[in-house]
Order: sequence, then structure tokens, then C-alpha cells
Amino acid sequence: MRTRAAISAALASAGILLAGWQSGAHVAGTGSPVTAAASGSSSSSGSTGAGGAATTAGGGAAAQAAGTYTGTAVQTRFGAVQVQITVNAGTITDVTALRLTDEDRKSVQISNRAAPLLRAAVLKAQSADVQTISGATVTSDAYLTSLQAALDAANL
Amino acid sequence: MNSSSRLTMPATTRRTPVEGFRSQARSRLLRADLLTVLAWSSVSLAVALWLADGGASGFSTLAGSFTALGIVAGLAGMDLVLLMLLLAARIPLIDGAVGHDRALGFHRKLGKPSLYLLLAHGILLAIGYGMAEGLNPVAELVALWVQVPDMWLAIVSLGLFVAVVATSLVAVRRRLPYEFWYAVHLLTYAAVLTAIPHQFSAGGLFAEGTWQRWYWLAICIFTGAALVHYRVLEPLVATFRHQLSVSRVVPVAPGVVSIELAGRHVDELSGHGGRFFIWRFLSPGAWWHPHPFSLSAEPAWSDASGHGTLRITVRNLGRGSAQLSRLKVGTRVAIEGPYGLFSTAARTRSRVVMIGAGIGITPLRALLERTPFEPGQATVLLRGHSDADLYLGDEILALCRKRGATLYHLTGPRSAG
Repeated sequence: MRTRAAISAALASAGILLAGWQSGAHVAGTGSPVTAAASGSSSSSGSTGAGGAATTAGGGAAAQAAGTYTGTAVQTRFGAVQVQITVNAGTITDVTALRLTDEDRKSVQISNRAAPLLRAAVLKAQSADVQTISGATVTSDAYLTSLQAALDAANL
Repeated sequence: MNSSSRLTMPATTRRTPVEGFRSQARSRLLRADLLTVLAWSSVSLAVALWLADGGASGFSTLAGSFTALGIVAGLAGMDLVLLMLLLAARIPLIDGAVGHDRALGFHRKLGKPSLYLLLAHGILLAIGYGMAEGLNPVAELVALWVQVPDMWLAIVSLGLFVAVVATSLVAVRRRLPYEFWYAVHLLTYAAVLTAIPHQFSAGGLFAEGTWQRWYWLAICIFTGAALVHYRVLEPLVATFRHQLSVSRVVPVAPGVVSIELAGRHVDELSGHGGRFFIWRFLSPGAWWHPHPFSLSAEPAWSDASGHGTLRITVRNLGRGSAQLSRLKVGTRVAIEGPYGLFSTAARTRSRVVMIGAGIGITPLRALLERTPFEPGQATVLLRGHSDADLYLGDEILALCRKRGATLYHLTGPRSAG
């Protein structure tokens, strides 16, 4: 390799790696609270934890209940999974993941990828009868189990 | 050398002064350097993708460290594999800057490092994930194969990579017929394709919605498109456009024949004398033999639509070349190319020395026709065991005479030792 090419390549590589490192430090700073924020919402919504407890905002008629319902916390070998649903006029209007598999970095990555896909699928299907996300089987199963508990609590 | 005769030819034709070779050389070196920088930058960018995702935080635990190193090895390994594919894709920008032979030389040099990186990727992740889950690496590999979608493909891919690199080792390759090596080498495409799914499905780095995913997709698609375009489409287009067929087979010396080919638009191939094409003679039993031969005469055409002839000169060296002396007139020919840098494009100054030995003399014959030089500024050295081995020597002599080049014949057996 010619000297000019070698020096330029070394400088360019160093620059790219440094830029990556810099933006990575930024991500690491905001990255972990992603799951923290999810658990934070559980306390603000006033749910009483595991076991399908519901905080109903509206009247409370079983079939037409409106409000938020929290599913059971499902333990997996990658961490616990727990979801909360928001129901309005008998339809699921939102699904929030309170806790997701976060045992290690890999699990966090998988969870972050799977959660939005599962949420979208559940909102579309309006049930827990949705496909498992490939590459996130454990997370999906736990997510849907917890979701089913929440649906049961909401009598949906 | 036993004998050396010097034949200085009188200048008979005057040509326009030759300029611009120095700037041509400067710009070619600049392109080569830029490509080098681009290649290494792509490797660091692959690692930077992971750093930008906060990957370095994995080093806080032992298991995480194994996993982190494994991911980095995989990213760098895949990037090198893509670089290897690009180097072998016959991209004119690359071949024109460093030459086809040096591009393939880099390709070969990257073979083992990329395999080691991919092996390290598999092993380190098996250890890292295994430690995180309390499994031994082998059990972890089994778990990955069974439980995680696309992972079995990735493990198969690794096996294919091992097979490809093992058959390409010089010691092994020498014992195998070219065609067997080539067939195994085609498995590279299977190896790369089976490696891709897990990168997007199992790897969190390229999860949906990340910019890293777009970048990675882009470089994979770019590489695939370059391969399809330059290695499949362009040869097909050239073959259909030029409609070449064998028009004459002329014996030149024992075991050496000149093959003349007639076709259309041969004017477009002008100026490529000395460069090589990959020829496939489309007759039963021979069509799957690719032959790399240089032109031994510049294309000659008679009308505006470029109907004309090309010529290659071939020595009976292997099984494939032996068949060529028995080629029938009218055999259709598929071509790829022109490839290589043995042409005016490689020149760096107005003076030129051309050296050829044995059958390697024949590309000089074509180069001498067209490459610009003034009388007295070119020297040609031909080397062979005897005068009979200076193939096309008469034609070269005539050309040197016409253009005012100095011709040396170096004949005789090799010196001992």
C-alpha cells in the first residue's frame, strides 16, 4: 500500500471510529432508560402490580369497561415481561410494555425490536392471537401471555 | 542468454507527440488510493455502526465482552466478504485503477482474514451468549440452531465459508482441477446469502427502524447489484451485441494457433489490444470452459456498423487449450471483458518498453499496433527458447519497422540455477 493511501486510510478509519464512539456514548446515556421509562409509566398509571389488577377510569361494566389493565409479570430466562393495555369502548387502544426482557444487551435489543411489532399486531388483531416475532420467540410468548392476562382482566 | 540480436528500425511514420501519460498515471494512482481509503473506511464504519449503538457498554461484564468481540468480528468479517465480492466483480473503476490481477490479489489476501473473523464471530458469541445463559458454548450453539430463526442458516453459512477457503488454499488448489475449485467457489454466493438473514433478524444492531439497518441493506444490495451487472448482464450483452463466431483457425507454430473471430461492432473493442477477454467457445463439451486470452491483433473492421474481425493466439497448454486447435469454423463465441490493465491505460510516460516471453509475446503484437509513441521511444524485448518460440515474431518485426520501435530478440535455454 502506498504511504499516501495508508495514512489517509488510517486517519479516515480513526475519524469514523471516533465518531461512532461519540454517538455511541450518547446512546448509552439515553439507551438504558428506555426500559426504565416503561416501568416508570406503570407507577404513574397507578396499576397495582402483577396479577391482572385493573385501574378502571370509567364506569366498570364488565364488557364495556374503559381504562387500563395490567397483565401478569411473566418470568423468562431473559428477564420479566409485563404489559398494560388501554381499553376504550371494548377496543384495545394502546398496549404498553411495562417490563421487557432485559437480562443483557442482546435481550434489550431483541425486546426493543419486538415490542413495537407486537404492539402493532395486537392493536390490529384486537387479541393475543398474533404471530410470534421471529428472533424474539421468548419475548413474544411472554408478552402475549401477559397480554392475555390483561385481556382477561378487562373481560375482552 | 545465448544470443541477442539488435534490430533497429528506421522511423517511417511520424505520429503526434505523446502527452498526458503522466497525468493519466497520477489520476490512476489517486483513484487507487481513494479506493484503498474507501475499503478500509468501510471496515471501520462497520465497527462504528456498533459503537454508535452503544455497543462498547457490553465490555462491563465478561460474558458481555465475549459477545461484544463476537459482534465486532462478525461485522468486520462480513464487510471484508463484501469487499472481496466487489474486488472480484470486475468493476471497471476498480480494475482500471489497480488492474484486474492486483484486484484479485487483494481478493485472495482477504480470504483467510475474513474466514478467521467469521469463525471468531461464531465462537465468541457461542461463548458469550452461553455464559449469559449458563450454557456451554456447544449447547449454546445447539440452542441457537434450534430456537432462534435463521441461526441454522448462519451456522450452515460458516461451514460453506470454511469449504470455500479451504479449497482455495494454494496447496489444495494445485491438486484440484480448476473446474472443481470454481464450482466450490460458487458456493461463496450461497454462503453469503445464507449469512444475511440472521444479520437482520437475530442481530439487534440491524433491527427494524435503525439507520444501521438501512446502511447494511444498502451495502449488501450494492454488492449484489454490482455482481449481477458486471459478471452476468454485461457479458450477456457483449455476447449478444458482438455475435462473435470463429472464422479461421491458423496454425502459427507447433501447438500454437491463431483464432480469428468475426462479429459485429468490433470497432467498440478497439484500443483494447493487450487486454484480455474471457472466451467461451459454444460447442458441446467446451462451452463451460472459460478461457482468458488477450487479443493478439487490434480489431479490424470494414464498414460503419463495425463488422470485422478480432484475433487471439493460443498455445496448447492444458486440456482446454488443446481442444481449441480443433475448433470448427462457425462456432459461436461468448465473451466477457475486456479485463486487465496491460494496455495504454497503464502507461505512465511517453517512452515505453514492452517485454514478452513465450506465448506472452502475442499481446504485445496487439499493443504495438495502437499504443501511442514516437519513433525511437519504444523498445520491445522478446524472449523464447528459440526463434521458433517467438510467436508472431514476423508481425512484430514488421510493426516495429513501421512505427520505429527498437526490437530485441533474446533466445536460448535458461541459464543454469
